[in-house]
Formats: sequence, structure tokens, C-alpha cells
Amino acid sequence: MRRLPTGLLFAMPALVVMTMLIAYPVVYTGILSVTDADGAFTGAENFRDVLAARVTPKAFQNTLWWVGGSIVFQIILGTATAILLNQKFPGRGIVRSIAVIPWVVPGIVAATTWAWMFHTEFGIINYMMTSSGVADAPIGWLTNRHTVMPAMIAINIWKLFPFVAIMVLAGLQSIPNDLYEAARVDGASFWDETWHVTLPQVRPVLIAVTLLLVIWALNHITTIYAITKGGPANLTLITPIQIFKLGFEQFQFNQAAALSVIFFTVAMVIVALYIRFLAQGGEIAK
Amino acid sequence: MSQAKRIALLTGASVLSVAAMSAQADEVTWWTPNFNEERARELVAQFEEEHPEITVNLEITVTNGLPERILTTLRSGSAPDLIDVQHPWVNGYAQNDLVMPLDDVLTDAEDYNEAAIDYVTWNDQLWAVPYRIEAMAVIFNKGDFEAAGLDPEAPPETWAELAEAAQALTGDGKFGFAITGGGEVGNTIFRSVPFVWMNGGDLISEDGTEAIINSPEAVEAVKYWTDMYVDLGVSPTSTLENDGTANRRLFIADTVSMYQSGQFDLASIAQENPDIDIGVMMQPHPEGKDPASILGGWSWVIPADAENPDEAKVLIEWLAQAENMGFYTDTFPARVSAMDMPRFDDPMLEVYGDMLPYGRPLPNHPNWVQISQAYFDGIQRILIGEMDAQESMDLAAEDIQALLD
Repeated sequence: MRRLPTGLLFAMPALVVMTMLIAYPVVYTGILSVTDADGAFTGAENFRDVLAARVTPKAFQNTLWWVGGSIVFQIILGTATAILLNQKFPGRGIVRSIAVIPWVVPGIVAATTWAWMFHTEFGIINYMMTSSGVADAPIGWLTNRHTVMPAMIAINIWKLFPFVAIMVLAGLQSIPNDLYEAARVDGASFWDETWHVTLPQVRPVLIAVTLLLVIWALNHITTIYAITKGGPANLTLITPIQIFKLGFEQFQFNQAAALSVIFFTVAMVIVALYIRFLAQGGEIAK
Repeated sequence: MSQAKRIALLTGASVLSVAAMSAQADEVTWWTPNFNEERARELVAQFEEEHPEITVNLEITVTNGLPERILTTLRSGSAPDLIDVQHPWVNGYAQNDLVMPLDDVLTDAEDYNEAAIDYVTWNDQLWAVPYRIEAMAVIFNKGDFEAAGLDPEAPPETWAELAEAAQALTGDGKFGFAITGGGEVGNTIFRSVPFVWMNGGDLISEDGTEAIINSPEAVEAVKYWTDMYVDLGVSPTSTLENDGTANRRLFIADTVSMYQSGQFDLASIAQENPDIDIGVMMQPHPEGKDPASILGGWSWVIPADAENPDEAKVLIEWLAQAENMGFYTDTFPARVSAMDMPRFDDPMLEVYGDMLPYGRPLPNHPNWVQISQAYFDGIQRILIGEMDAQESMDLAAEDIQALLD
């Protein structure tokens, strides 16, 4: 009898743990998605039911807004902050520490705090706006259909742009000074330097960070669930929250599993496309 | 170890083991929610005195996540012998053979609140013994009524009077009548569905085959209720964020003059703002019709695979005696004769007692949670101004119909 290769033997314990932690839940979700509550096989029925519900396309649409809106501003604001923090100025250390606070605050704490700040009746934002005369009457930030999703996105941006800033800052500090010196010899301005030296150099970092942000935004639940639970009238219902509500509030575990499978597939396609087309040459993302 | 000590230990151990054995034979495990704990302990002590052959093991539960916990234990095959559950859950257990019929225990159904019996009846059998019932009414601030020139002793009775009073009470940062538009779905169900009922409508037809929430009567009621915020502006700006607790807080903070709630709010209002002269009125009804309210409350069930169902039945029979039930309930007893107890003779509770005969059970349907969510989404669409009542309820009816088919 041939012995198992030593390498495989060493990897065995880790493989077993991986199987239990990753493969089992994935397979189980797959099984749940094609069976009913009693475990009988139902084929595509759960998929049909969940796709037929009006909230499903709406949640998808909301998810796109949520992910797109969050990422664009997180990247722009984060990169700008990184460039700023990379300059030499007095008190830089303190500013750098303060800048990471939003990222360090636990998600549920941040969400609750923002919910109170946005509150129509007791919120500090409305208080400041009405007392300074900017607004005549309190604004229902979390209940007006034009402001509630932007408010959620704003919280998400606030929460995660420091992460982008730290990553980009690390990337900036690894750029050799010679490049800037060479550019300055050629008469480059600050904007030329930023555009032609800095950004190309941190491109791999930005690509990796964007990918992370996309995945996080797609999986996000805390902020929105803690503040609006997806309401009012499903205006902030994103797909992960729909899955959560289907499963744990409405006990439709099989439909929730079906939606998870669909969502997983879509997310995988997005990530694959992203890596295929945008991340060419971005070594980190591969 | 000395000889004496060893003997003492041995005797102790054997006494314990004998006790354990006899306890196992006639031992009832009873799950009760924490708000009942103190009274349950007292009743258990009394019961054990009268029935020395039965030992009762109390296990205290918390309402948060309780439905899931009970469902798990009922499905697991190792359930306790007696569980306190909310009325609306009973039917689902009965349909899935998770609990025992209790017709041999509850033999005097005519002494019980009718709606409570309806809740626990399925397939012509009784599946639980209801012990606690409650219905919402409208709590109001008598001082505000006087300040607005209204008579606090003659609060609004009809919808027209309610709207008029609410408008008179609104102004100077005060709101006349607070409705709920946020929080858990149940908050809005409990407050708005009675209005639909009063007007002759419902969410689904009685046989559970048709969504009828877009019928003219239902839409008119939904419009009346949501107009408190949308059209009349007598409900706070934060309505879409508010649940029942938020409304109570606004009432305590003197921002709201009237809001719908149960008798469980009275104590905390009196404690947190003793200056408010609290009044309670029946739910106002459409001209010439009756008030309505959703009947809430709790029942006892015996799981289908309980180990000692016979002893559990003895315990339920004892607990269901009028004076024991009247002592045990947090609000009102399900038994009509127990209402005579002095405990319920509080003028503040009078209106709540008057509301009880108008209490109705929620519709029973396996997809009820999703149905109520679809209705709640419809209410929110109206409140945020996305649609009018008819359009929104048409959509809700479409969603609900899909859940019924």
C-alpha cells in the first residue's frame, strides 16, 4: 500500500477544519435552497418564489446604489486624506490618529450614534440646522425617501474612508523619492506629480482596497439593520438584509438560502469581472 | 473522615437520591416568562402544598427570541411539560402536531373570553388554555384636553370626533394623535388593523384564500389612520421612526396628547411624569359602528412529547381556577369570572376592561409574518408619500395574494 504524500498529511488537519468551516455551510445552503421546510426536494421552486417577490429586484437595485455610492466616495475621500496626511506639517501624528477613529469605532456603536444624530425629534443635526436657521423645520433624514439612502451611504463612507486612507498612505510611503525629484526636475506641479507619479504608484493598493470595499459593502448588514431595518417602505432594504429578514424574521430558511445562492453567484461574477478587466497588472489583487 | 461524618453524608446522599427519584416520577417542568416569575413562584408553592405528590420545576424564559426557542424545543423531542406562549402562536403548533389537545382540561369554555378561545381552537379542538388577555385603547392627557378647550370627561367616540380633537390638540410643538410607522411590524399591526376591522375590512378573507386589504372599507380605514400623519399632520414629524415605546416617551415628554397603547404603559407614565393627568378612552369607531382592538395575551400549552402530560394537566387545571388565574395574569384574566377580583377594580383599567369584548384574534395563516410585512410596507409607502392609500393597498393586496396562493 502506498503511503499518503507527507505534504498532504501535514495539510490534512487544516483541510479538515476548512471543510467543516467553509464547505459544509456552503453545501448545506445549497441543499436548503432546493428543499422545503420538511426537507423534501422542490427543485427551483424557492428560487421562483423569491424572485417573484416584488422586494427582490428593489433590494438588488438598492444594493447597487449602496455599493456604488459608498465605494466612489470612500476611495476619493480616502485617497485625498492619504495624500494630505503624507505631507509634512506640524501635528501630523495627532491628525493621523484622529483620522482613523471612525474605522476603529465598533459598527453597532457608530450606527446607534448616527441614528440618534439623524433623529427627527431629538437629533443634533436637526437641532443645529434649525437653531442656526439653515432649515425652518426638522428634516426627517431617516424617513424622507430622498434622504434615507444617502444618509446610510454617508455613514458607510464615514466609517470606512479612514481604512482607505491608511492603506493608501502606506502605499504612498513606499514610493521612492527619486521619482518625485525626477518629476520636479522636469518642472512638474503638485497636480502633475499626483496624477503622473503618485496615483500610478498606488494603483495596486487602490485596486486591492476597492475589491475589499466592494465585498464588505455587499455583505454589510450592521449599519442599515441597526438604524432602519431596511425601511421605511424597503427604501434601504439591500439584499443581505432581505436574506437575513427572510430567514430569521419570517422563518423562510429555504427561500433565504435560495436568495443567498443567487446573491453569491452575482457577487462572484462581479468580483471575477473586476479582477479580469480592471485589475490587469495589479499584482496584489491577483 | 470521622465515622459520624461519613454516616451523615451517606444518609444525606440517600435522602437526596430518594427525593430525586420520587421527583422524577411526578415532576412537571414549566417554562414561564420572567415577568411572571414572582407570581408563578408563589402559585407553585401553594400548588405543591395541595398536591404533595407533584413537584414543579420552574424555568424562567425571556420574551426576546422566545418564539424561536419554543419552536426549537417543540421540534427537538425533549420539550418541557408546560409552556406559556402567546395566543397567536398556538395555531401553528396545533397544525404541526406539536402540542396536545386540551379539551379535557378546558371544559368550561363559556366562562372564557370568546376571542381568546377562538385563538386556541383549530379543527374543532382546543389546543391551549388562555390565561391572560389584553386589548389596546387610547391613552390621553387630560390637562392637554382642558388647555385646548375640550372636555376631558367626554373624550372622542367617533372617527370624526377623534380627528377634530387631534387637530385642536396640535400646535406649539405638540401633536394630537401619534400613530406608529417604525420599529417592529407588530407595532403598526396592533394599532392600525383595528381601524380596518371597525370599518368592516380585513387583511385576508376568512377562509384565507383572498387578499382583501384593497377593498373600499379597508382602504378608507387605512387612509383615515395614515392621514393623521400625511394629511392632518397631527402625528409627530418622527412618526416613521416611532414604535409603541417611542410614542410613550413622546407622551411622557408632553409632546403627544393621545396615542394607542395597552394598560402596561400606565405605570411607567405615572412614574416618569407624575404631572400628567392620564385618561383612557375606547378606540374611537366610525359613526354607528363598534370599536375594535386586537386581542393579545398568553396561553398554556402542553407539548406533544411532554414527559408528564397528566401531571401538567393537573397543574393547568389548578392554575386555571378563577382566583389563581386572576392572580397570575399581568394584565387581565382570560376567564370572565376572574374579572370580578378586586385587583381589576381600578378605574384606570375600566376602559381596558370595556375594550375586551371588542378584542378580536389576528387572522391565522402559516405565512402570517410575511403577510403582515407586506401590509406594513404598504403603510410605510403611504407615510413616506410615495403612493396614496388605494394604490399602496392595491400593491399590498398583490403581495399578500402571492403569499396566499
